Amino acid sequence: MNVAYFPGCSLHGLSRAYNSSTHLVCDKLNINLQEIEDWNCCGATAAHSLNHKLSVSLGARNLNIAKNMNLDMITVPCAGCFGRLKTASYELRNNPELAKEVAEIINAPAPVEPEVTNLVQFFTEQVGLEKIASKVVKPLTGLKVAAYYGCLLTRPSKVVAFDSPEQPTSMDDILQVIGIETVNWSHKAECCGGGYAASETDIVVDLSGQVVESAKNAGADAIVVACPMCHTNLDTRLGAIEKSRGVKYDMPIIFFTQLMGLAYGYSYRQLGFRQLLNSASPLLKKQGII
Amino acid sequence: MPSSTTPMTADFFKAIKLDEIDNSFQQELLDNCGIDLNTCLECGKCSGGCSNTHIFDITARQVVKLIKMGEVDSLLKMDSLWTCVSCQLCVDRCPASIDIPRIMDYLREVAYKNQIPATREQVLVFHELMLGHIEKGGRVEEGFLAMEFNLKTGDYFKDVFDPGMKMFFKGKVNPFTPKMKKRDETRRIFKMTSLRKG
Amino acid sequence: MSETKTALVIGGGIAGIEAALKIGQSGYKVLLVEVAESLGGVLEKLYNSYPRYENPADLIKYKVEQLNECPNITVMTQTKVISADQKPNSYLVKLQNKSEAKEVEVDAVVIATGSQMLDVTSHGEYGYGHYDNVVNSLEFEEILKEWATNKDKVTPPKTVAFFKCVGSRDRSKGYPYCSKICCMYTAKQAGVVKEMFPDTKCYVFYMDYRAAGREYEEFVRSVIEDKKVKYVRGRPAKVLPEDGRLLIRAEDTLRGMPIEVTADMVVLAAALEPSAGTKEMSNIFPVKTDKYGFIDYETNEVMKTGERIYYAGACSFAVESLGAMHQGGAAAAQVLALFNQEN
Repeated sequence: MNVAYFPGCSLHGLSRAYNSSTHLVCDKLNINLQEIEDWNCCGATAAHSLNHKLSVSLGARNLNIAKNMNLDMITVPCAGCFGRLKTASYELRNNPELAKEVAEIINAPAPVEPEVTNLVQFFTEQVGLEKIASKVVKPLTGLKVAAYYGCLLTRPSKVVAFDSPEQPTSMDDILQVIGIETVNWSHKAECCGGGYAASETDIVVDLSGQVVESAKNAGADAIVVACPMCHTNLDTRLGAIEKSRGVKYDMPIIFFTQLMGLAYGYSYRQLGFRQLLNSASPLLKKQGII
Repeated sequence: MPSSTTPMTADFFKAIKLDEIDNSFQQELLDNCGIDLNTCLECGKCSGGCSNTHIFDITARQVVKLIKMGEVDSLLKMDSLWTCVSCQLCVDRCPASIDIPRIMDYLREVAYKNQIPATREQVLVFHELMLGHIEKGGRVEEGFLAMEFNLKTGDYFKDVFDPGMKMFFKGKVNPFTPKMKKRDETRRIFKMTSLRKG
Repeated sequence: MSETKTALVIGGGIAGIEAALKIGQSGYKVLLVEVAESLGGVLEKLYNSYPRYENPADLIKYKVEQLNECPNITVMTQTKVISADQKPNSYLVKLQNKSEAKEVEVDAVVIATGSQMLDVTSHGEYGYGHYDNVVNSLEFEEILKEWATNKDKVTPPKTVAFFKCVGSRDRSKGYPYCSKICCMYTAKQAGVVKEMFPDTKCYVFYMDYRAAGREYEEFVRSVIEDKKVKYVRGRPAKVLPEDGRLLIRAEDTLRGMPIEVTADMVVLAAALEPSAGTKEMSNIFPVKTDKYGFIDYETNEVMKTGERIYYAGACSFAVESLGAMHQGGAAAAQVLALFNQEN
């Protein structure tokens, strides 16, 4: 299976573990990820916050390159990039006047295809749980985790049109077929603080703190994410969260592809587990997984 | 004793003249974003579940109301513009699907274009630095962005030791991110969409 | 008077029962078919009624006795209408019960197949179907019955919260219309809880309270003033499970402040939509429907929706039981006028 792949800046930067584990898992699933050639940054929070046309144009350039690869689908592991690309496609489809203007701005056609999917969506809808399960060589039994979706994997629902915006289950499904128990918890679709990691750290410590607290209360031993922003906020601010709440959480924050990779027989090191600030090693050792 | 310049009665609740309300911004939102604020039921579901409503100076529901009352000036100066996390909870819960995150973006864009100072300067600085990265290099290098942010805000040691150094030693920070090649293309996009001239 | 004319009444709720009774008591034959095991429809599920706190079981018992006394009326429960063929002055209708199929020729039809509650798993923010103790209003009537039966054994809830307009006045995930009766039954339910357990706190989250009807405004005021139910103006945004209870986040829109309250139970006044039976009947019979699938009316004729077809009750829009009964009587009047004219 061939699919266009948009890694985004974080997967080349702080969240390389997400990139490498995604590649390994896709290899095992016979998915050929074809990186969109010479892609540009999606513009993230900064572009859509200050300049709508810029934000759509940055997305349109990527869409156009992907379209020229003659693939009918793009998959985006970063929920933030996914949101921007999907929104760009949505805006171009529903606003022909803007689409015309954007085509002029990028000096190229501004297509609404290929269809943009996030990685969780691509796995559940295109690959299927059965196939995901079929590649498991080591079921990760004993692990009890909270699947954390955050905002942009499923919202805004009229744009994303995938899973439930409030009670999503798709990532839980994936984790369950590789042997993991997922907890029923309250904050799976609440916000971690998004793009304020550096500029308004207090907001992130507050919102991410609520997420961690809720996961802990639900009995989770780890939080599993599908977004580098969620990961950075939770993983790098866990210390600050623990300090502000006066609680020690012991809560590794793991990309879902890292766990898939373990179930598929890849090693701790290959999957970039060492890059996590809050080590997952004690937990994985305790369950006899590594 | 009140001084001669202090009015005996303060106009805290001076009546708003309904027929003098300027509805042009409401119309502008409809024309430019396709958002019809007449569909608002004033139910407060948006602000009730907003991630950051507890630190908003003007809540989501009030934003809609103030636009309808023509009080756009206070919205362009509000703190909520710079604390809204664009989490999309409000629009998905709104029984009328009013796209409040888009309204927030639109207000921010107008404020930015008109150089109205952001109440959270550091948020704007961060956005601008990030856009600068994309304009110049097509992509963002997170490590450099964080360093530049500290230099720019004068908070030189923010996050340097924790989590900065930890991240460095864990090999999270990647100094060799692959560069984008056709940088003239992103520069063109920035030039053609520039809001502030010069 | 002709002995041959027969009316088919579909649906054995209070509207269908009333229509069947008046037609039968006037000397014509009636077939009353009901898909469930017993008659009574939604009314049978209710703990009590507003605005007079009457027991709906008493009304049903009284009506069913009258049905049994009327020799012209045949009641068929656990029976479905499968198909209908329109003839010049009649319908050839196929009925199916557990054991057999049967074809009958009828001279008029009254559709009284009612409405149902929207499946509010659509509103994931409230956690219906995900969290214990988040129920819809109809399920809560069952709970009230149970509480009343085992009053001494029940641990009273500390707090019960009622959300109005769940899927009503909601063009995003429900219906743009107002479901009309939720304001009243919610007031009733909150009042009943306070009556049973005076120490339980009851909060009703509302956008508006709509009490247009005889004794309705007085009823809601008495719930607020005498029974001390607290009304909060704001549509709740989120329910979060917390330590076995339910944390509710909302805005008090009159105060302009976010509010939180922890409840033991959340009752969702879900929108009313055409029942599955109503949708089936509108496919089988040549009737008019509106865009939501409710049976639509003919402008100049009371309770008429097609050739020799009449309707009554919530199949055409949300209606309280008294109104449904009145409509049943009005539909019967139409059938009787038609039959009399043709004799």
